[in-house]
Amino acid sequence: MKTIAIGILGAGRIGRLHGDNILQMEGIDRKAGADPYANFESWPPASVNTGRDPGLVLDDEAIDAVLICSPTPTHADFIERAAAAGKHIFCEKPIDLEPDRIKRTLEIVDRAGVKLQIGFNRRFDPTFARVKKEVAEGNVGDIHLIRITSRDPEAPPAEYVASSGGIFLDMTIHDYDMVRFLSGAEVVEVHAYGAVLVDPEIGEAGDVDTAITTLRLSNGALAVIENSRQAVYGYDQRVEVFGSKGSAEALNEVPAQIRLSTAVGVRSEKPLYFFLERYQASFVAELEAFFACVREDGAPAVDGQDGLMSVVVALAATRSRAVNRPMMVETRAVPPTGGRS
Amino acid sequence: MHRTTVGLIGVGRIGRMHAENLIQISEARLKAVASPHLDQVWAETLGIPVRTTDFDVVLGDPEIEAVVIAASSDLHIELIRRTAEAGKHIFCEKPVAFEPGPIEEILKITNDRGIRLQVGFNRRFDPSILKASEIVRDGEIGDIHTVRVTNRDPIPPDIDFVKRSGGLFFDFTVHDFDAVRFLSGSEIVELFAVGEVLVDPRIGAAGDIDTAVITLRLANGALAVIDNSRHAVYGQDQRFEVFGSSGSVACDNTRATFTSTSTTEGVFSERLHGSFGDRYQEAFVAELRDFVRCVSEGETPAVGAEDALAAVRAAHAARRSLKENRPIRLGEMNEETEAPGEGGLR
Repeated sequence: MKTIAIGILGAGRIGRLHGDNILQMEGIDRKAGADPYANFESWPPASVNTGRDPGLVLDDEAIDAVLICSPTPTHADFIERAAAAGKHIFCEKPIDLEPDRIKRTLEIVDRAGVKLQIGFNRRFDPTFARVKKEVAEGNVGDIHLIRITSRDPEAPPAEYVASSGGIFLDMTIHDYDMVRFLSGAEVVEVHAYGAVLVDPEIGEAGDVDTAITTLRLSNGALAVIENSRQAVYGYDQRVEVFGSKGSAEALNEVPAQIRLSTAVGVRSEKPLYFFLERYQASFVAELEAFFACVREDGAPAVDGQDGLMSVVVALAATRSRAVNRPMMVETRAVPPTGGRS
Repeated sequence: MHRTTVGLIGVGRIGRMHAENLIQISEARLKAVASPHLDQVWAETLGIPVRTTDFDVVLGDPEIEAVVIAASSDLHIELIRRTAEAGKHIFCEKPVAFEPGPIEEILKITNDRGIRLQVGFNRRFDPSILKASEIVRDGEIGDIHTVRVTNRDPIPPDIDFVKRSGGLFFDFTVHDFDAVRFLSGSEIVELFAVGEVLVDPRIGAAGDIDTAVITLRLANGALAVIDNSRHAVYGQDQRFEVFGSSGSVACDNTRATFTSTSTTEGVFSERLHGSFGDRYQEAFVAELRDFVRCVSEGETPAVGAEDALAAVRAAHAARRSLKENRPIRLGEMNEETEAPGEGGLR
């Protein structure tokens, strides 16, 4: 098996997570890591070439593929530079917050002929992937409704919220992608309600912490996503696809399948605490899929188009909430490619 | 023990069920049933002394203190008015009316005459939903942030029914509007509805929809979402969840039994209930028992014309939201009340 030499841009939480996951994988050489702010004393081990300059990764001809785990405003630049250097790219979501910039970036990727996969890890979660399989095999029939509940265990600090692009671009974006993934259809119209119920500082930062998004899909189905920045009982991640032949549901996953019954009542475990715990397997699986697509010259499972559409839908939801009316989503204005081979 | 003497008008599917439930309630005595299509054998088997095709026989019987109205929807207002004039207390199936105006009028008449009026929002008496509302009210989940209602029927209605039902929001979602109000203890101030015809094109041809998602803003600042389908092949899908600052409370689906069978194919639990009568059996008995108690003890029923009014206003707003594809504030609806017409929604 040909070894793939990789470099990682960004050594924050997600960059380190990917870097550590790769250690378990065969045929991957973790060659370089760059982050202008990171302290590389404790991570990664000395064999990796590390420093502040992204050129350590982007200009190293021996590197075949890059993982872009840096802050969002750097994503498009790094993608373009990596593509120009002929490197395959795995990039965390979102590519950018501006659809026009994303389109330009995707054109550059297309021209370079490199692979681009976007980090919508939930598609690789074994439970959600199984729901998708049931739907794809026709076990729920024609899709009528998709319902997603997505609640974080604790709200981010207000400073984070202020630079996040807002709840729809930062959090619900995963759910928009999940609706597209499960339905195999495009979002054609969006309406969003939002409220500040968790933390007034989030409201002062111009965002909401509680939201319900209604979506119309190109296959005629309807979808609804319910979000909260704070569920005190943990990370609440449920999906349901309902159709003409039945429904397929993913329930919350728990640390232990125990049930304690006492004179007071019956108690079972709270959901797994947060995304690192809940989606651990998916973070490994998405990189395995990316490396397989690089090796086998296949199509990325989550491509640039997916990265673009989730942002387009999130922006429409943001606008819908602001003006309180449903917004059409311009699916036809989008170029047909972007990282697809 | 005082037994409240009750008459019943209308013995379609719901009327029959109410009669059979009343027989089981020891505090009540079902003296008379009236219906133009009365099944004499059935009524005799239940031991109902007065069986008539003329509802005036029920309304004119001085012994009857309370009347259960389960006749077809278009007769509800007229029957309520006549029953109130006869000085009898009233239990009326939903919908009381498709328009707010007649309900407001009924509200005034019953208030003026001291008539107790209960509306058949049976879910408020379901043990699980009732318990959830108590947990919310006791503050166990903190401030309410979101309310979620899933309501899907196991069998689509026949097309003739769809045509005179007033449409999905008036016939079906009204229960969910009431559930949102009941579980939140708050009023609906705005909503946005989307709907589609995905189950049966004949429902669309009749001017109605069969699949819908309605999102709502409540007076206490919380958000709510209702999803509806006329056809869930796996049975009566009835789920409720209230999420708040200190946690959430959920009512999952119920089944006839709670068996679990594990085989080489997987783990199987029983299919969901096949009808709302089965799903809400306890609630249907409990609502009548509570009505009889209110009549007997001179109390105000738990769910009255005000609740019917709020649900119908929400249904009108939902219909308009669907038609105009925009959120509708319930305040906008006060001025205008168009008739739902045939099918009504599209």
